[in-house]
Amino acid sequence: MNRPDKQPVKSRLADEGYEPWENNRRIPLPVIWVAVALAVWGTATLLRDSGSYAVAQNERQSGETVAAEAPEGGEALFLARCSTCHQPNGAGVRLAVPPLHGSDFAKAGPEVVAQIMLRGIDGPIRVSGFAYDGRMPSFAAALNDGDIAQIASFVANRFGGTGAALEAGQVATLRAAQANKGSWQGGAELAALVPDLPTQPPMPAEAKPATDPAISALVFAGKSDAWSCASCHGDLGQGTENTPRLAGLAQGYIARQLRDFRQGERHNESMNSVAKALNDHEIHGLAAYYARQRVASAAQPALGGDLARGEQIALQGDWSIGVPACFSCHGPSGFGVAPDFPALAAQQPAYIASQLAAWAGGHRNNSPLGLMDRISEALPEADRRAVADYLASLPAVPAPEQRAEAKIDGGKDEL
Amino acid sequence: MLITMGLLLALSFVVSLLALTFLIWAIATRQFALDRAQAKTVFGKEAAEPDTDGTHLFDTTGIDRVSARPVRLLILGAIFWLLLASAFGVIASLKLHWPDWLNQAAPLTFGRMRALHLNLVTYGWLSQIGIACMYWILPRIFRTQLRSPQLAVIGFWLWNIGVTLGAVTFAWGWTDGEEWLEFAWQFDMLLVLAGVFFVVPLVRTARAREVDHIYVTGWYFLAAMVWFPCLFFIANFPGIHYGVEEATVNWWFAHNVLGLWLTPLGVGTAYYFIPKIIGKPIYSYSLSLIGFWGLALFYSQVGIHHLIGGPLPTWVVTLSIVHSMMMFIPVIAVAINQHVTVARNTWALRESLPLRFIAFGAVMYTLASFQGSIEALRSVNTITHFTHYTVGHAHLGAYAFVSIVMFGAAYHIMPRMVGREFAYPGLIRLHFWLVVLGFAIYFFALTIGGVLQGLAMLDATRSFAESVMVTKPYLEARSVGGTMMALGHVVFAANIIGILRAPRRALQPQSSVPAE
Repeated sequence: MNRPDKQPVKSRLADEGYEPWENNRRIPLPVIWVAVALAVWGTATLLRDSGSYAVAQNERQSGETVAAEAPEGGEALFLARCSTCHQPNGAGVRLAVPPLHGSDFAKAGPEVVAQIMLRGIDGPIRVSGFAYDGRMPSFAAALNDGDIAQIASFVANRFGGTGAALEAGQVATLRAAQANKGSWQGGAELAALVPDLPTQPPMPAEAKPATDPAISALVFAGKSDAWSCASCHGDLGQGTENTPRLAGLAQGYIARQLRDFRQGERHNESMNSVAKALNDHEIHGLAAYYARQRVASAAQPALGGDLARGEQIALQGDWSIGVPACFSCHGPSGFGVAPDFPALAAQQPAYIASQLAAWAGGHRNNSPLGLMDRISEALPEADRRAVADYLASLPAVPAPEQRAEAKIDGGKDEL
Repeated sequence: MLITMGLLLALSFVVSLLALTFLIWAIATRQFALDRAQAKTVFGKEAAEPDTDGTHLFDTTGIDRVSARPVRLLILGAIFWLLLASAFGVIASLKLHWPDWLNQAAPLTFGRMRALHLNLVTYGWLSQIGIACMYWILPRIFRTQLRSPQLAVIGFWLWNIGVTLGAVTFAWGWTDGEEWLEFAWQFDMLLVLAGVFFVVPLVRTARAREVDHIYVTGWYFLAAMVWFPCLFFIANFPGIHYGVEEATVNWWFAHNVLGLWLTPLGVGTAYYFIPKIIGKPIYSYSLSLIGFWGLALFYSQVGIHHLIGGPLPTWVVTLSIVHSMMMFIPVIAVAINQHVTVARNTWALRESLPLRFIAFGAVMYTLASFQGSIEALRSVNTITHFTHYTVGHAHLGAYAFVSIVMFGAAYHIMPRMVGREFAYPGLIRLHFWLVVLGFAIYFFALTIGGVLQGLAMLDATRSFAESVMVTKPYLEARSVGGTMMALGHVVFAANIIGILRAPRRALQPQSSVPAE
């Protein structure tokens, strides 16, 4: 249809009077091919999306089924909730977690076990001849009456050898009786519940040394050239997202990180600026303050990591990629080993993942002997998320009392 | 098989594609009884054979004279906002690498500057110059004078008052708080009212048209006239949408401003001026149909691809991705229609400066649309989301395509409106090269910088600060490019105001245009 140009020749451009119109050509075949191909692709994509929707639906339903079936066994609940610290065989961890196997408390029957679970323990306790710095979280909020009844019955039967079983209704009665009483004050208070206990260590006369008001002001109000700790780390030092939990970290560890921030050995714009405003006395005070904080876990898995894989790395490591178990250095259950190995349990997952990434990328390099640099490099990104999520699923580590800390590092925070 | 949302969507998708195919086939082969009569008007006696005996030649003098007043006002208003918006754009760009510059007062901060740039470009410049093109072109393709031109003038003043109030109050912090909808909704309703004043004369003109067949430009313009007020009203009306739904409506609107308002304006204008200037018809009527109806069917779902990875049901996002990819079909159709006409007549690019702008803009439409479709794929979006890459793409569409087509349109309209030639064609060439080179620097800098930024953000072993630092040289290049574009706009304004101010040594008027 390319007709010869009929316009006047002085300019080949259109005459002012010409108005556009359309030829009547057929649609070129390639356009139709492209259109058909896209239509097929689009339909297939929507159908595949329908498939993923069905998969998600099935997963959700099967997840609900599993959740509904799981509480049937007290053993399953024990393995999920208790065995991380007390170990699957109830042997506990030497010098850190009291054993259940053969303990007087397990032998005392499921009602005693249930009451300990409802309130937790916060004070020295003697079990099977060894004294422990007893710190057990309360499970009153985390578990319902049925779960507690099943766990308590399982523990009393398996480890205490008693035949009694507890019903959910009885737990409800106990829960009402023990409500709002706070943690059991060590073996001394439990002795009233369990007859014929061996002598229990006394509660330390003075509970906690009063916090220095200057330190308290730093935590909650900050000072002219440093904003308050609580503004990012939370009122209780529980942390959030990429801001770490401080509550219960070892005093020596906190002090060392603050000094590293101050000297620029560890990098974070906010913390570098805050730490520069702190003197040695304030660093010491803040470290002591947070080391003594006792706060329930505020963390939960949030990074979509594979918890089973995370558990494997934490407990056994993965020697095929040269990664040791986290707990081999950071202590049983990720309690931490003062002063160099911080507690990991209940730490914020985003923080753990970002620190692992920072070590791998060379942005954090203040770990003793460069241990974490090499380990983090070896961990693939999915494993970093897996282990961070697993650690977040653990119960919060009980903070050591100041006297325990004193025993460990000689009453000073110098390393 | 489980009946799921995805399955229902896939089925309705297939059905709507079949319906679209049938519709286009029916119109193209004139299955409608009504259309047979129209076909005679369009194609002369034998329907299949196009007519070149003068049906498409007629005198427009009387028509242009009536359109001239609103068109002149709209072009001047548009240029005013273009200059102001360019200044805000350059300032916002500079602030990205001079962060402490001009931060003494809230209205001067980046968040306000950037949003002012965006809103003034969209509602001040592009909308008004687009409406000016509607007022110039529609009476011509309807072969009749514009009806009720005084309403258009009222609309112009209402529109500019609305934009002014919206911009000033926004600068001092009164905002609806959603991107593309920053102006307080009270002023947006003023814009809706102005829109009514704009639409009534055009609808009256359309009803009084002297031809039965409506040229493809008319479809785009008439559709945009209906689409945009609906979109704008629904998105701005307060208190209807909350939470995730609000975000969904926000992006549904924001992308439709481009696709169902600025795109029809730009494509319609290019569809008119390319054959108009060259003097050859458009390649294929059937392709025009695919281009138009494809846009109408596919575009409205495209916007949600801005929320890929967001907390929306997967099927909403997938539907949007599929529709984004389907946009290849209408874009290819428009590309063949427009580019073939230009490619067979490259001589015209040398002879006509306006055509250079318009043809360049039309090519950019094709590229921007292809890029946008690809960007909607999850694999690509993972990298480009939250980066400067997206900003580069937005400017490829709104600037290199729509704005540059509109520059060409203004250069074509002005001499015919005032009856004089431009005194300094060299300035038009300067304008062209300033904006084209400036844009090239701008676009490639942001595209490369954006990809590097996205890769840095994806790498967990690199700190976030690193992903910011890596973009710095590219942001500086962007400021250079942006400044060149802004200088081009100053040259543009000087050209338009120069021809309006009637220099004494102007050429003799070619047609009689009464002084206003």
